[in-house]
Amino acid sequence: MSDAVTPARPAWLAGRAPGPRLARHTLTLVALALLLLPLADLAVITRDPWTELARMARGLAWPAFGAVESPLSALGLTVAVALWGTLGGVVLGIPLALLFARSRLVRAGCAFVRAIHELFWALLFLQVFGLSALTALLALAIPYAGIFAKVYAEILEQAPSAPRDALPPGVGRLSRLVYTELPMAWAQLAAYTRYRFECGLRASVLLGFVGLPTLGFQLETAFREGRYPEAGALLWCFYLLIAALPWWSHRRLVPLLLAGGAFLLGPWPAVDGGLLWRFVSQDLWPAPLRAGDGAGLADWLAHIPDLAPAIGNTLLLGLLGTVGALLVALTLWPLASRHFGCGPSRLAGRGLLILLRSTPELMLAFVFLLLLGPSLLPAWLALSLHNGALIAFLAARHADALAPGMPGLSATGRYAYELLPRIYPGLLALLYYRAEVILRETAILGMLGVATLGYYIDENFQYLMFDVAFFLLLVTAGLNIAVDALSRRLRPRQVPLDDPCLR
Amino acid sequence: MGESRHSLVALEGADLGHGDRVVLPGLRLRLHHGERVALLGPSGAGKSTLLAGLRERLGDAAAWCPQHHGLVPGLAVYHNIYMARLAEHSALANLWNLVRPLRTPWREIAELCAILGLEGLMRRPVGRLSGGQRQRTAIGRALYQRRPVFLGDEPVASVDPHQALRLLTLIEARHATSVVALHQRELALSHFDRVWGLRDGRLVIDAPVTELSLADLDALYPDAEATTAADPGDPAEMAAPAPEALPCSRGRA
Repeated sequence: MSDAVTPARPAWLAGRAPGPRLARHTLTLVALALLLLPLADLAVITRDPWTELARMARGLAWPAFGAVESPLSALGLTVAVALWGTLGGVVLGIPLALLFARSRLVRAGCAFVRAIHELFWALLFLQVFGLSALTALLALAIPYAGIFAKVYAEILEQAPSAPRDALPPGVGRLSRLVYTELPMAWAQLAAYTRYRFECGLRASVLLGFVGLPTLGFQLETAFREGRYPEAGALLWCFYLLIAALPWWSHRRLVPLLLAGGAFLLGPWPAVDGGLLWRFVSQDLWPAPLRAGDGAGLADWLAHIPDLAPAIGNTLLLGLLGTVGALLVALTLWPLASRHFGCGPSRLAGRGLLILLRSTPELMLAFVFLLLLGPSLLPAWLALSLHNGALIAFLAARHADALAPGMPGLSATGRYAYELLPRIYPGLLALLYYRAEVILRETAILGMLGVATLGYYIDENFQYLMFDVAFFLLLVTAGLNIAVDALSRRLRPRQVPLDDPCLR
Repeated sequence: MGESRHSLVALEGADLGHGDRVVLPGLRLRLHHGERVALLGPSGAGKSTLLAGLRERLGDAAAWCPQHHGLVPGLAVYHNIYMARLAEHSALANLWNLVRPLRTPWREIAELCAILGLEGLMRRPVGRLSGGQRQRTAIGRALYQRRPVFLGDEPVASVDPHQALRLLTLIEARHATSVVALHQRELALSHFDRVWGLRDGRLVIDAPVTELSLADLDALYPDAEATTAADPGDPAEMAAPAPEALPCSRGRA
């Protein structure tokens, strides 16, 4: 036995097992981000961020609830917009989901509406419908329809096909849907809709940043004017709203909330058909294009500001944000997992993750921007922390469902041998899924002054240059679609599914 | 004896498989009316492929009981069994049936459930049933199709030996012709007219049970052969494993 030949010791991270393969994959991604890091403008511009941070922390610790003007109506409108906007997305999304696999046109259309952030849609509809409930609802319902179509179609497709295959021949499409596909996928469909509603709440808050009277409007004003105790009070209101979500969004309460929300929605705009048509048919398109003037169009294009740095910044921030989110997720998930720490530490960890993931990234970026000045740094921090916390939360939940095979291991042993190998493929797949979301958020961070594409879109909308703004929106959407396609190719395959329905 | 009967399916050198992948090349066999066929072979030998091929050729004549049941966990036993006749009702009736069970199907399925020992469970979601109850629900769904030929892919794999006997008798009573994939070799000899034995994608046994012994069937299983070759002590023990020792159906091709 002793003189049996020892097989050659493998080199660093060598081997075809999923573990080293994913590790190599990850390290390549991190190396790429480090390589490109010098290109990013990460300067801290403000002189004294710490005093400002201390004032903010004080505001959050001692919120002044009395100073907030009518917080209930802002909260109510935020919820109503999220609820009705999500419902609109569901109603539009279901028929599209059924056509999704068959129609290239539907897929392309959904990819396009998805690729533009809710806030940009709001900016666009703002020009026609003004600061009205219609703008807010459309800004949520249209991108969500595209998202629901895609995700519902994927869920339905991934539902176990055995019951469908067992059906006798000749069963109609509708019967097949309601007897096999819907019941097989119901839990996931409902869970996803719920999750999307939570995203809708955050987006609804953000709509305040373009002037709609949701919670974000007061938040932005309070932060901008340095009234931190008031801002703190508003933030706490929002956190409480999110934390209490499981109770107030119970299935039975939803019809009641919808009915109540319908009263809170408003004001409704007087839709001027002629104006709307003029906007859609003329204002959005460059004049030379409508006139069919080729030379004029070239001239028009030449007048568009140089987009290369903006696109470069958008992509770079997207990559940095993705890698940052991965690192944050890997560090933070054990904080909220039942396999590590003690009761109070888990409670604190879970609280931190919920706080970070519930705060809209634009909000985080806004706060960091006030602290650090307008460079890529605040945007990077915001994207990494928000998305990292979101992934960490899901990873912790995944880990909690696992039972370690060897109970007596040390914490590092549990992390590296028992849990991480099992949850990492799912974590990485989630990260690649988030990469598209991160890029979409990167663009809107431009509205805060970070030099990404969103900066120019916002600027051109402000100067009423709708044709240029719309063109830039199309560029943004194209970029998003390209990155989405890329991340789908890179995403690890064969992610183990732990769905109880499959067992 | 089978010569006088007409054949339902005749394969003359057919290639069966999934998509481009041929699992059973050049297959020759005949399925005669009124014949009960046991389909044996190790996992991965192509039993499911052969059954799928037969199902395709028999079309509306075949009742189908798939491997792992293919039930919908979220729906009640009643609705799962009802699915056998989805094609015979309008989409509207099918939708209404989810809201409130239709009268006639409810009565018919109640009778079937009483026979299968599922009485009192008709409204329970399949996800909350035991393995054996699910198995019986799947068989119930196949019976409710009321077709002349029964095709079952290990339909008695997860029930105890007594129930397996009872269920096979029930299937026999309601179908003139049947092809059932099995793992229990003794059942194949005691309850069927003919055995088809698959090994490595070839049909190596196609004979009436009267001409077969357990030892013949053992030849289908490479593991059994290897162990008997290494240890020729007690072939009878190898031939009749205890039911507990039988591999469960999960994860088989």
